[in-house]
Amino acid sequence: MKRLALTVLALVFLLAGCARPTPAPGEIVDQLGRPVRLDGPPQRIVSMSPSNTEILFALGLGDRVVGVTDYCDFPPEALDKAKIGGFSNPDLEKLVALSPDLIVADQIHEKEVVPELERRNLPVFVMDPRNMDQVLESIVLLGRATGTEAEAARLVEEMKIRIGAVAQKVAGLSPQERPRVLSITWHDPLWTAGKGTWEDQLISMAGGQNLLPELEGYKTVDLEVVLKRDPQVIIAASGHGEALRAPYLWALDEPRLKGTEALKKGRVYEIDADIVSRPGPRLVEGLEEMLRLLHPELNR
Amino acid sequence: MKEIGLALRAERRRRAYAILGLLFLLGASVALATAVGSVDIPWATVGGLLFSWLPWIDPPRTPGPLATIVLDIRLPRVILGGLVGAALAVAGATYQGLFRNPLADPYLLGVAQGSALGATIGFLLPFSGTVMGLGLVPVLALLGGLLSAATVYALAQVGRALPMTTLILAGVALGAFLASITSYLLIISGNQLHGILLWLMGGFSLSHWGEVKVLLPYVIVGTGAIYLYSQPLNLMQLDEEQARQLGVNVERVKVTLLIAATLVTATAVSFAGTIGFVGIIVPHAVRLVWGPDHRFLLPLSCLAGAIFLILADTFARTIFSPTEIPVGVVTAFVGAPFFLYLLRQKKRAVF
Repeated sequence: MKRLALTVLALVFLLAGCARPTPAPGEIVDQLGRPVRLDGPPQRIVSMSPSNTEILFALGLGDRVVGVTDYCDFPPEALDKAKIGGFSNPDLEKLVALSPDLIVADQIHEKEVVPELERRNLPVFVMDPRNMDQVLESIVLLGRATGTEAEAARLVEEMKIRIGAVAQKVAGLSPQERPRVLSITWHDPLWTAGKGTWEDQLISMAGGQNLLPELEGYKTVDLEVVLKRDPQVIIAASGHGEALRAPYLWALDEPRLKGTEALKKGRVYEIDADIVSRPGPRLVEGLEEMLRLLHPELNR
Repeated sequence: MKEIGLALRAERRRRAYAILGLLFLLGASVALATAVGSVDIPWATVGGLLFSWLPWIDPPRTPGPLATIVLDIRLPRVILGGLVGAALAVAGATYQGLFRNPLADPYLLGVAQGSALGATIGFLLPFSGTVMGLGLVPVLALLGGLLSAATVYALAQVGRALPMTTLILAGVALGAFLASITSYLLIISGNQLHGILLWLMGGFSLSHWGEVKVLLPYVIVGTGAIYLYSQPLNLMQLDEEQARQLGVNVERVKVTLLIAATLVTATAVSFAGTIGFVGIIVPHAVRLVWGPDHRFLLPLSCLAGAIFLILADTFARTIFSPTEIPVGVVTAFVGAPFFLYLLRQKKRAVF
């Protein structure tokens, strides 16, 4: 039994060792701690997520981006780039055909896609930000990988200033002044953004409190709990086009929400889902927008 | 001879009691399901609210969140769950009787796949709208379900006859065809993907009175029509030819029962999504306990299906509250072991 335990322990250490080897010279480390080998600044970059595309363009690397996903729609120039398929299911064939010298992937690609790319000797840089600080960190890391350290530092500095300004405005708020916010991701079934989601983090950074703080991640929620806790503000994530505004339109129309403080005071808002769910430079815009919605009085 | 007659009468009485018992259980399930939820409300308050609502005509509402929770969130959801459960179970019993096949279920003729495709198209259309107070998704789901069943009938018809085997095969093939289109649409659905997936899993989240009002007449008329044919359905269990010789208009019985069962299934699916397991297992469980006589099997399945789905949905919305799990997860997870237990208990039961 003891020997088994020791073996398991040894294996765990071995695996842990595999996951984070110290980078050799000429290698950089991505946000998962994986070493990535690069021969000079990359010239043909493929982005495998909308947020990565936004960061690459913000770093002034737009000309060197040769491929993006079907969902990369910002900045508008990204729409003209070659498409490598969906976000979670990229088309490997197209990806390889672009002969990239850097692929910027996301944590969701770690299990299936990244090993496939590595097998083909393609350098993959994985981003995995979980909070605002790590978004800033991911930008610095990507700057290092692409030889745009100065641009990354400038971008991060600007974001920090704007985040600081919001933090300063909400710093003096008492708990009573922080409204209870119901964040709606989808309405049928009612789907809300719990702890750990970008929406949840932005709400608390912008001086609000999540109506359902006990939920982790995106979860369905029982409408009766919502009524019982009486949201003061309802924020629905909206996409482009009428069909993707459905959650917002539902919240405005649902008769059973009429008695909530949010409806009585007319505080049902929609927010561009892209700026509150893509961990890129525009997350700061999402934060500022959230502040405008939750605390219009602080924005004079 | 006399003893057999007595035994038969005792058996009938036993089933009549079963119907009364299940009716009582149904009432108790509705009460229980309305009384419990993610928000703790004292039972006395729930009772008071229900009584203030009961007079039907112009209910004197005590406004407030508790009244909304009990009367506008829980109650319509419980009733819708009951109606869908009854509809699926009765349709399942009918299909099983008609096809004389224990694997027949309400989705056998492609209704579920047709509804799923209709709903998916409803999600993907670039506009939304309402038809008679209902969203585009349920309306298109209903249309899809009925269209696919009608196509299956048309394909399976040979002259004036409707051979059951051809019907099953046409249903399976068309179902697979429609499901493949739905899968393709899912892949290209982008931002709508999670909405569609959640619909496909089925459930009663956000059920409202408008849905109950639409579903209720279909379920009443459909199950009523089915019940009228319970005796011919019994005779057809022997053999279609023998039933014909006994004076049953076999083709008419088949067509009426198929239309009624399909209509009931399609309306249920368009509001609740494709909830599995109820339609196939509830009739079997009833048959194991109370025997295969359709005059009892049909109403008992109806009641048992309603009770089962109401309790399953109550479980789905309370076990991990305030978050919910899809009711289909509960129906199979709780229902399958229970059914296997019944199967072991009554190994010699005749299907």
